[in-house]
Amino acid sequence: MTTKRFKQIANDGVIKNNPTLRLVLGTCPTLALSTTAMNGIGMGLAVIFILTCSNAMISMLRKIIPNEVRIPAFILIIAAFVTIVRMVLDKYIPALYESLGVYLPLIVVNCIILGRAESFASKNAVLESAFDGLFTGIGFAIAITLMGIVREALGAGSIFGIHVWDFKMEFFTSAAGAFFVYGLFIAIFNAIYTSVENKQRQKSFLLKLEFASKKEA
Amino acid sequence: MKVNDFLKSKAFKSVMVLMCIALVAGGLLAILSDVLYVSDQERIERAINTIYGEEISFEELELSDSDKTNEYGSIDNVYLLEDENYLIKATGLHGYKDGTVTVWIVAEYDKAEFLGLKKVVVASYEKQTLMSSFTNDFYKTFYDSKEDVIGGKYFAVTESENNIQNITGGASKSSNAINNAVDSGLYYVRNVIASDGGEI
Repeated sequence: MTTKRFKQIANDGVIKNNPTLRLVLGTCPTLALSTTAMNGIGMGLAVIFILTCSNAMISMLRKIIPNEVRIPAFILIIAAFVTIVRMVLDKYIPALYESLGVYLPLIVVNCIILGRAESFASKNAVLESAFDGLFTGIGFAIAITLMGIVREALGAGSIFGIHVWDFKMEFFTSAAGAFFVYGLFIAIFNAIYTSVENKQRQKSFLLKLEFASKKEA
Repeated sequence: MKVNDFLKSKAFKSVMVLMCIALVAGGLLAILSDVLYVSDQERIERAINTIYGEEISFEELELSDSDKTNEYGSIDNVYLLEDENYLIKATGLHGYKDGTVTVWIVAEYDKAEFLGLKKVVVASYEKQTLMSSFTNDFYKTFYDSKEDVIGGKYFAVTESENNIQNITGGASKSSNAINNAVDSGLYYVRNVIASDGGEI
């Protein structure tokens, strides 16, 4: 795998095709678990591990798994990794296990993980698929953690459980607040992304124009 | 279709691949579940740690059938702690959609004299959807009302002569189940522990 390909995969996973803010996938856990920053980072780390391992495993088995049963096979593989994460969290971080609740087993049918398995891991080499899983997971983890920080700070007056101010608006910890913050994040992220992309386009257009005029001269 | 044709068919290959994945994953998970098994004892220690913030030794008390149920709900487990307090896991009835709420209660004692409730922590609940509406202030009511608790009163959502008024936290039926869970624990304290030698 070349450095250029590696950079492309990293950029796709974290920015260009950010699963939460660009593709709007995995909305259910994003809305439900971004109540606190700690929940966000916990869920993010769980998804990074599962996505990296399942992508690598699916890519490894892609030539063996018949096309007709690929979805049940993907679900079996993902479910195995989700169960491992559940058991590890229950044993070593019970507080996080309790707070992630039903959303942890629901990772099995998370659109991000199934989506990457179907669109990337089943068509690419093991290393590329593992990196794709890692960076897509990082993109999800960053988005859900940032949302958690904002919602916890405005809704509970703390960040990662540490008291920062007395201002509290319970709206931000409610379901309506989750939709509001999520919408705001998508809007801000896409506004920044579009403006950067437009600048890059303008820059490359000017470079092309300059090159053409030099050629003409 | 002949046996040979079936063995070479895509259907057979699909079944075999799925079976192999399931067997390998199942085997791996079986080994890991043995390694990462969390015993009941460990879960109780965790619960005590959450409530107390420190490790403390305890002894589980046996419950007779008559002790296990009362008009408010049921008593799931009772532990006598090293510091002479009792840790009671009690379930309250009549929540939202006839669901239940289970709580851990610390009944505080000093030389067999009941001093009130020291802590109330929710362990689990069924069919209750607005449990997050109950903030810490709601549970504080239980251990701040020491005089009423020692005086023999029970908790309830609405005020009446024999009840202690309780805030609802935006979900009165869930509040009812939480109150019943605490009352179930209090019933045990007043009727079982007291008759066994503890004073009220």
